[in-house]
Amino acid sequence: MINDFLSNIGRRTLSFLYFAGGLASLSGQAIYLTFVPPFHKGRFLEQVKKAGCDSLPIVSLVALFIGFIFALQTAYFMQRIGSEMYIASLVALSIVRELGPVITALVVAGRVGASITAELGSMQVTEQIDALETLASNPIKYLVVPRFLALSIVLPLLTLYADIIGILGSYIICVFKLGISSSLYLHVTFDALLYKDLFTGLFKTIFFGMLIAFISCYEGFNVEGGAEGVGQATTRSVVFTFIMIIAADCFFTAIFYFIFP
Amino acid sequence: MVFGKTKLELKVGVFVIVGLAILVTFILSIGKFKTWTAGYKVGFIFNFSNGVKVGAPVRFAGMDVGEVKHISISMPKETGENAKVKVLCWVKKKVAIPVDSTIWVNTLGLLGEKYIEIMPGHDYQHCLVANQTLEGVDPLAMHEVVRTAKNIVDNLDQGIERINKGEGTIGKLLYDDSVYNELDAFMKDIRKNPWKLFFRAKEKK
Repeated sequence: MINDFLSNIGRRTLSFLYFAGGLASLSGQAIYLTFVPPFHKGRFLEQVKKAGCDSLPIVSLVALFIGFIFALQTAYFMQRIGSEMYIASLVALSIVRELGPVITALVVAGRVGASITAELGSMQVTEQIDALETLASNPIKYLVVPRFLALSIVLPLLTLYADIIGILGSYIICVFKLGISSSLYLHVTFDALLYKDLFTGLFKTIFFGMLIAFISCYEGFNVEGGAEGVGQATTRSVVFTFIMIIAADCFFTAIFYFIFP
Repeated sequence: MVFGKTKLELKVGVFVIVGLAILVTFILSIGKFKTWTAGYKVGFIFNFSNGVKVGAPVRFAGMDVGEVKHISISMPKETGENAKVKVLCWVKKKVAIPVDSTIWVNTLGLLGEKYIEIMPGHDYQHCLVANQTLEGVDPLAMHEVVRTAKNIVDNLDQGIERINKGEGTIGKLLYDDSVYNELDAFMKDIRKNPWKLFFRAKEKK
């Protein structure tokens, strides 16, 4: 009884340590191999298109809705205290600092991260990754590096799109529904924003991109047991990426709060 | 195949360029003054800067025309002088500041954000040129106001204390019964002998 309990705890701790170690070793190798030739430019561009261009519609749609929702929810309280003018600054700050980066990262994690795990997982199951190794090409160099680079470059760009579209969504609500004048709205929006708001928002998305790439690739590489294993790995990868994104966001927010008060 | 590859590159290129364009738009919109607006720098010297910060707005006749770029302090070389604070400001080129303008640090709104207020003078023949400095008027610091108010209250307090003790004319009027007694006796006497009002004592020769 007590033996089972203890070995259960031991097994979980070990599997967590294996996971952390594997993830760290994969990340280290991928970052090292990024700077080692040969460079696969075509594969990189393809990943940028898959992760960036193809995610743009859904990121835009989600950002637009977030803008609508946030403007309406803020208006509910701001109208009670008679300061509708500040809806614009509140929405701009929230979207640029927090909602834009996190919503984008979550959408991309769900859309791109899941597909990476499923793709690499089925390659692993059908032994294509072993085949790559026998052809003397490093699977990390060939598969992980383009995805990691693409995601960490694409995510800040997507966040910029999400920021501007989210502000646009709130603009639509404020100007056409709440009757705030257009020029006043824009003025208050950009008056409230500082450079540090924009850059702290963009800086953390680079790390979100890396997290998505490394966790999805790691889960993909470690699939066991056929099609069912691929499904399980995909679920695990998405859930874990979501948790890690929120945790990393909390970490970065706390750090920036103390570094740039 | 070649067509497919160029299409891919085109898509990625458009995606990246539009993203960078948004970044540039943000950066230019966030900066309070467009970087391509021409301007010049002038310095204002205060004895007391009241916590004005870098980036605080500069207002000329109530309109935002620039911002504070740098604040430095110069310690006095001899005793008897005050430490001076030099506030270096960037001002739009089309704004000319006459040398007889009044400049002070003012407080904006409820939250107490500080800014440089310039009340323009009339001497437009002599305007500030780049890197020239102008002496500002010291703002009324809150502790100065409090100190003056405290002096006034202290003085008042002493007076009131003396009145309470029954010292001085007012104190005696309020607390000393003798005036009342005299008046009372006088009224009673007059009522009893009203003819006394018409009586005129003969002047002694």
